[in-house]
Amino acid sequence: MSRFPILVDKEIRALFLSPIAWILIAVFLFLMGYSFTLTLFSTSAATLVHIFFQAAGLLLLLVPIITMRSFAEERKAGTLELLLTAPVREGELVLAKFVASLVVVVVMIAATGAYAGVLGWFGTPDWGAIYGGYLGLVLLAATLVAIGVMFSAMTSNQVIGAILAIGVSFLMWTLDSLAQLLPTGLERVFISLSLLARFTPFATGAMYASDFAFFITVTALALFVAVRALARR
Amino acid sequence: MDSFDLVLSRNEVVGLLGPNGSGKSTILRMIAGYLQPTTGLVRVAGFDVVRQGLEARSRIGYVPEDVPLYTAMRTREFLSFMGRVRGLPRTDLGPALDAVVERLSLQRVQSTLIGKLSRGFRQRVAIAQALLGRPALLLLDEPTNGLDPRQIIELRETIRLLAGEVAILVSSHVLAEIERVADRAAILLDGRLLDVFPLDGVPPGGLEETFLRLTADEAPGPSAGGRA
Repeated sequence: MSRFPILVDKEIRALFLSPIAWILIAVFLFLMGYSFTLTLFSTSAATLVHIFFQAAGLLLLLVPIITMRSFAEERKAGTLELLLTAPVREGELVLAKFVASLVVVVVMIAATGAYAGVLGWFGTPDWGAIYGGYLGLVLLAATLVAIGVMFSAMTSNQVIGAILAIGVSFLMWTLDSLAQLLPTGLERVFISLSLLARFTPFATGAMYASDFAFFITVTALALFVAVRALARR
Repeated sequence: MDSFDLVLSRNEVVGLLGPNGSGKSTILRMIAGYLQPTTGLVRVAGFDVVRQGLEARSRIGYVPEDVPLYTAMRTREFLSFMGRVRGLPRTDLGPALDAVVERLSLQRVQSTLIGKLSRGFRQRVAIAQALLGRPALLLLDEPTNGLDPRQIIELRETIRLLAGEVAILVSSHVLAEIERVADRAAILLDGRLLDVFPLDGVPPGGLEETFLRLTADEAPGPSAGGRA
């Protein structure tokens, strides 16, 4: 029998039993609600584009706070030794922590669906763009969670793990700005690695297979590094 | 670690003795599959701990030195989690939990948060989780650390009771503890196994003499750093 569902269940319980997840969800929803109300009354436009970009910006900061405890806490408390000497694969454990953290972030994002409901009730929004934006947010969240889990697997200090994850996430988000200063060949490479450049089409209602592939590839790569980091002990 | 060769039989308690830093925890971690040996082979019930890790680890119960537990879980919840992780089918889980709870006398703390348990109860919970899934080998790393005299006596009795069902490798730097619970003693120094011998023929206090003799023979010389 696979241990994966058992591990996911334990991780989700641990996350929702901790006040951190609830505080982060509350802060996220308060800031998003404030921004949504302000923009709606000032522009009267039935769109969530600005909300998607603001949500993405907040996720860069909040996701590492959710993921920082995943391995670092277990390593520090010694419970990682207990888990890794049980008949559990490192890959199962990494995937379980990834899925559990992603569930928290998806709950956070899904709660903003109320704004789409408000737009649909009072106006005629472009639903395709809204679905695309939410899909983009979930893909971005998956990538950020994977990066956070990766850094958490590399250290026993939660704060260091979070700071490294925030740093790398922000760097990847803004790589397209840096690209403007580079020669043409390198410019393309940097733009293609930019989270912002990959997220923008989703947020504005366009979807490209290459952007899907990018988010999935970076997520898989970060999870692979996390598994290797766990194996090196 | 270097030149460590030890075979444990079922129903046997072997005491791993050595000063602090001699490599006792490292050996137990290697056997438990947490650390990988660079050379050599560790087999548990015929399974290679590195190549057949899942099969080997499912036959090992391991209690690390610092007794790491999920302090936010309640005792039975934690045991249930570990039982499921160890692959116990749902139908067998309840009876298995009841059995370890009774064996380790955990009845009155089943619903208590682990973070609120005394060191003695934590040690018992840690042993209880290690027994789930009926392991062939039980590894106990310095199990009496931090326990009061009564708890030490209770733990000693528990180990002797378990000895009838499972092979036990228990590490300690306390000679008297090994003398009381083990059938054989293995002396470790600087990552090397110096000797393994049965304790039934050793007179009271004899283990201390043997330990001192073996470790003195291997201790570095006072000036050149060679062996005396």
